[in-house]
Amino acid sequence: MNNYSVLGKSEIKVDAVEKVLGTAKFAADYTMPNMLWGGVFRSTVPHAYIKKLNLEKARALPGVACVLDHTAIPGGNRFGIIIKDEPCLVDDKVRRYGDAIAVVAAETKELVHEALELIEVEYEELEPIFTVERAMEEDAPKIHGDSNVHAKKFLNFGDVDAAWDKCDIIIENTYSTHRLSHMFIEPDAGISYYDDQGLLTVIASTQNPHYDRGEVAVMLGIPANQVRVKQAATGGGFGGKLDIGVQLHCALLTYYTKRPVKIVRDRRESTMVSAKRHPITMHAKTGATKDGKLVAVDVDMVSDSGAYASYGPAVIGRAPVHIAGPYECPNVRCSAVFYYTNSPMAGAFRGFGVPQAAVCHEGQMNALARALNMDPIEIRLKNAHKVGTVIPTGQKLTESVGFADTLKMAAAKAAEVM
Amino acid sequence: MNKIKITCTVNGEAVCREVYPNQRLLDFLREELGLTSVKEGCGEGECGACTVIFNGEPVTSCCMLAGQAEGADIVTLEGLSKNGEMDKIQKAFIEVGAVQCGFCTPGMVLTAKALLDKNPHPTMDEIKLAMSGNLCRCTGYAKIHQAVAKAAAE
Repeated sequence: MNNYSVLGKSEIKVDAVEKVLGTAKFAADYTMPNMLWGGVFRSTVPHAYIKKLNLEKARALPGVACVLDHTAIPGGNRFGIIIKDEPCLVDDKVRRYGDAIAVVAAETKELVHEALELIEVEYEELEPIFTVERAMEEDAPKIHGDSNVHAKKFLNFGDVDAAWDKCDIIIENTYSTHRLSHMFIEPDAGISYYDDQGLLTVIASTQNPHYDRGEVAVMLGIPANQVRVKQAATGGGFGGKLDIGVQLHCALLTYYTKRPVKIVRDRRESTMVSAKRHPITMHAKTGATKDGKLVAVDVDMVSDSGAYASYGPAVIGRAPVHIAGPYECPNVRCSAVFYYTNSPMAGAFRGFGVPQAAVCHEGQMNALARALNMDPIEIRLKNAHKVGTVIPTGQKLTESVGFADTLKMAAAKAAEVM
Repeated sequence: MNKIKITCTVNGEAVCREVYPNQRLLDFLREELGLTSVKEGCGEGECGACTVIFNGEPVTSCCMLAGQAEGADIVTLEGLSKNGEMDKIQKAFIEVGAVQCGFCTPGMVLTAKALLDKNPHPTMDEIKLAMSGNLCRCTGYAKIHQAVAKAAAE
């Protein structure tokens, strides 16, 4: 045993007791005197101008406290974790199915649903873009601004063009990964209120309370020290609760009604508007010597990043860096372009693009092993990162490189159970 | 819509309330009785987060109406700890580390409780089958199954 108080010891999780007792409070478990319920009216088309929006019938429903569209926003109407490109409530055009157009606060959940049904909207639909191929065409409608490219990265290590002559074998393949939903088990929820010092407070299911606070302050046009965001016990996120959820809409409704407002998304709404894993298509060209040593890796990757950037600019930074995997290769090149489309927004999801890159480099290693008639574990061990390896970013690994040992143990375990 | 009167037993106490005929049992327990350990994950009976023990059977309360509780005996997680003493299943979940975000935990513990009440010494296959209606998105299921087995062994 060591002398540390926690390291190396089996400890009881700090919040395990309240969670097995059921007393841990998640966002939807909060309730307050005089509380209103909130809900969001969302688009049912993926790409359109709003020609007419009629909120009057919803406003006239007894028990409805407040119905708001973008004209009610006192501060800024663009948010987003890296690029501010998503509206709190649509002001110019709808960019995806499920864009928020109006918010409602009412005395009961049932009245919120009734009021949402009474909102009328008329669209002028635009051509929706759901593929990278269409997004990159010159005559394609632009989702934001004057280009559908929202991020580009280029990684170049060694001299790939000069390396092909040194290869005994070159393998080319195209890999496509699909969009995934985190499916955190707790749908997004939150409650907002003015506390006894007059601070606008939001308790939410979130992974990012400090960012949320900044976004709420900008949206309301008030100083950040007038806003407080508290993270409730959060029922999973996996990256999907880094983007702001119900916080802005709750805060806006509380700002106007001065009353506590609770919004709880159902599973459908939560799945519809939360970020997804980036679907990435990777065209890979990999060269090796006949004894299985990697010589060059060259990959073009494109992604349908959806209607808003979210964490796309971070994902596009990671995927190319990992494109050769945990394998030594003196020549690596990767070009990556992420596109705006009218698809569901892609964002942070456990690994930020690295798992997608793994589909490509592991597929290529298997393909090489087959073509060279080598054992797939052997070819990986032959190329494995070790202390002293220089990776494609130029970093020299000086310690703690456990890949080869891990792979050997995994192979032994697989042999035992398979 | 006219309310209907229901009488049932919740966590050992008699409850008599007026409810709307379309009110879900889940909302009745959470909003009328304040039993917020009962969670809504999907609202359509897939995830098991809203599981309660209903006349001895684990059921998804999102798929039942409050009116169906007439005469029923219902146990939620709040009813499991007697006089402040945790049930052996709750202790095992803590000791094994079968809790991560905690949102599925109430349903998991109650499904395990319903199993062990009927079958005090289940095999691992019986545990896995009984727990298959409760989804966990954080830990995977190995530790949850181990916790149920540990509770059964005590």
